[in-house]
Amino acid sequence: MKQQFFIALVFLSQSCKAQELYSMTEPASNMASGSIGFRLDNSMMNEINSPTINYHLVPEIMVGLSRKLMIHGNAFFSNREKKFAAEGGSLYAKYRFLSLDAVQRHFRMAAFGRISSNNSDIHQEEINMYGHNSGFEAGIVATQLLRKVALSSGFSYLRAIDNGKNNKFLYGSKSSKAVNFTFSFGKLMLPKEYRDYRQTNINLMVEFLSQLNVGSGKYYMDIAPSVQMIFNSQSRIDIGYRKEMSSTLLRTAPNGFFVRLEHNFFNVF
Amino acid sequence: MKFFFLFIAITLSVATDAQVTKVSLQASGLTCSMCSNAINKALKTLDYVANVDADIKTYTFEISFKTNSNVDFDKIRKKVENAGFTVCGFVATIHFNNVAVRNSEPVTIGDKTFLFVNMKDQSLNGVKEVKVLNKGFVSSKEYKRNTFSVPSPGTYHATI
Repeated sequence: MKQQFFIALVFLSQSCKAQELYSMTEPASNMASGSIGFRLDNSMMNEINSPTINYHLVPEIMVGLSRKLMIHGNAFFSNREKKFAAEGGSLYAKYRFLSLDAVQRHFRMAAFGRISSNNSDIHQEEINMYGHNSGFEAGIVATQLLRKVALSSGFSYLRAIDNGKNNKFLYGSKSSKAVNFTFSFGKLMLPKEYRDYRQTNINLMVEFLSQLNVGSGKYYMDIAPSVQMIFNSQSRIDIGYRKEMSSTLLRTAPNGFFVRLEHNFFNVF
Repeated sequence: MKFFFLFIAITLSVATDAQVTKVSLQASGLTCSMCSNAINKALKTLDYVANVDADIKTYTFEISFKTNSNVDFDKIRKKVENAGFTVCGFVATIHFNNVAVRNSEPVTIGDKTFLFVNMKDQSLNGVKEVKVLNKGFVSSKEYKRNTFSVPSPGTYHATI
């Protein structure tokens, strides 16, 4: 725990240089209008008190509808219920309503929302619209880019409903509401100097993810460091680890590795 | 008022055969090469653009054009904005052939009208770099410093 905070402090104290294509959260910036991106999110979460690893696979398509509006659509697969199966999907939209640009810096704010549908059994108090619960999430995010460093913070409200296939939300309607607070830090490490688009970019990210349940007052706080490589200024791979730092919520598999693969096509429409 | 201005602009303006050969554009709001690439690829979709030479380090894009094409400055600006960023510098390389310019008096060059400011009255000859000062072509800070009236579409405040 102490060590994790130390790592975070070292990152934060370094003089400003970095990026905002975070692994666990979305920045306030959008993708280019008319571009389409494909993502494949893989997470291998260790089930508590069990040797089982829950594998979650989320294929996602992202579309830049205009310079201010983008949408994501995705499907949730996992092997949590013994057999690897499709469990649902979600629709996400983000609208950038503020953009203050200067050379090598910007401050942006965006509003976002997600509607999720899931058929899996509900097995934890944590509310998660990315592969666990049916319901919605709405919030705002602010991102500051300062040369090679990017800082981003988001706040959202979540409301879970019963999952499909008669899988009820077990913890009462009061506990079906929560707020998420995230803080993300990213830094461009390589290249030291840009020459062309084929240079591989390496970014380091540290993200803090927390949830407070409005009804029960229970919470969690996680840290998720990751390394990101961007190839050909078009594709990326993120490899990271999510670790629970503190929690009073019942959670079944909070810790594990994740790998994100992404490829973007510009000017598709 | 607008029509009056337009009328004045048309009657006073001098039609010339000058050609925009290049634009050097600086974009703001980005640092990474993926963002730069989004702008680079967006600029290349314009049919009158021959080539884009991007300097990722300085966020500048040297755009060259096909010969005898009408170079629409606003479409270039919109491409950058649609990629999610802002133009903070826009310098057009224009080949002049004996064009007399006076401070704040309109000069028609191709399909565009320029209102040159902050410069001596002179006759322009040969290759000149013309900096466009309209909103969206300079940083918002710089735009606020200049106190120009909003020109009609196709008209640009500019300086050399």
